[in-house]
Amino acid sequence: MDPVIQKDFNIAIEPREVKRLLGYGEESGREPRERFEEVLVEAIERAGKLVSPAGIYVDASGGDLPGSTVFDGLERVAYCVCTIGPELEGEVSRLSGGDELLRAVVLDAAGSVAAETVAEYMDRSIQDMAAAEGLKTSCRASPGYGDWDIREQRALFELVPAGRIGVRLSESAMMIPRKSVSFAIHIDEHPARMRSENSCRNCDRTDCTYRLLE
Amino acid sequence: MEKFLTECAQSIIDGNAEKSAELARMALDDKHPVLEVINKGFVKGIREVGRLWEEGAMFLPELVMGAEAMKEAMTVLQPVLEEDAAGKSAAGHVVIGTIEGDIHDIGKTLVATMLSANGFEITDLGADVPVVRFVDEAVEKGAGCIAISALLTTTMSGQKKVIEELESRSVRDKISVMVGGAPCNDDWAKEIGADGYAGNAVAAVQLAKRLTGA
Repeated sequence: MDPVIQKDFNIAIEPREVKRLLGYGEESGREPRERFEEVLVEAIERAGKLVSPAGIYVDASGGDLPGSTVFDGLERVAYCVCTIGPELEGEVSRLSGGDELLRAVVLDAAGSVAAETVAEYMDRSIQDMAAAEGLKTSCRASPGYGDWDIREQRALFELVPAGRIGVRLSESAMMIPRKSVSFAIHIDEHPARMRSENSCRNCDRTDCTYRLLE
Repeated sequence: MEKFLTECAQSIIDGNAEKSAELARMALDDKHPVLEVINKGFVKGIREVGRLWEEGAMFLPELVMGAEAMKEAMTVLQPVLEEDAAGKSAAGHVVIGTIEGDIHDIGKTLVATMLSANGFEITDLGADVPVVRFVDEAVEKGAGCIAISALLTTTMSGQKKVIEELESRSVRDKISVMVGGAPCNDDWAKEIGADGYAGNAVAAVQLAKRLTGA
């Protein structure tokens, strides 16, 4: 099946999520300082102008991932790469190199939230496509999380022509732009519980800032 | 004087860069002993910031604000210190960078800023730094420590290569090596023969102090 490309859609960057990434979770019970709030508002506004959301997915089967056995036996899997584009991280580098580290840190966090929001948008788009056929979808699984080896990022990029939305892999298998997300979703009447979906639960880094556990 | 020093420390804890710079200028105008103002005032403040952050009473943006306030104060005081030739690189020289193949640089910049705020002289090589460049710079600058960041499992092997390069040039005993970044930990540091691992910018300051005897 031909790849599906989505571009130029709007995303909203949630200030609450940016705060959570920077440690101000609801559970922390602490309010940020006034100056941080100013920087936060400015960063989200600036991030809104610097993101160019785009996503591409291929509707294929579990066996289509070259050289991989991780989704063997699954009849239909959507493989997706999405990004916010390169501009925001360029601005982060410029700020951190120019003694504006606080602005850089907050803008970087806003970019991470934006990338996650783009992934959610693509996730919903795949859900809608499945729902139109009376099917359901699993949670997202990403290379490098749980038991899906990061080295299989290359296999995913062989299958998904991500260059068409401006995303490539470096020699060290890092996505460029950095604020990009790759994932797979199982589509079925009864979708599998993806083995890597509870990646935080399986991770022994209990003090990780990004840990998402109820 | 005691009250003045407390105010200096407090300006750093509050992350108030305008105030810290103003106090630094006042110290010069009133001919307060500069080293005392730094060590018993501003440095006390940045130490407290580190402590509060470790306790979870401060979050990343406040840590950055503290470091920025410290930097502002030191920008005012440094020229006088250098005239005195008394305070030059009191804590030692650290060459820092993100290893080749890896372009993540904000965490590394944060560590560099905290080291600098704590009196270290810093040579920040940026990101995607070739193995030999770490060693070349450290040897040329007479640095006692190299700090290497790696954010990818695919690039962390570069940290080991830096150590091998130091050994091959017979300078390993003169230059200590600290490592950091998401995939690293104490076991990894031991495995590759590094002198230590730091999981965050505050821990990096403590480790650098231990390694350089500062």
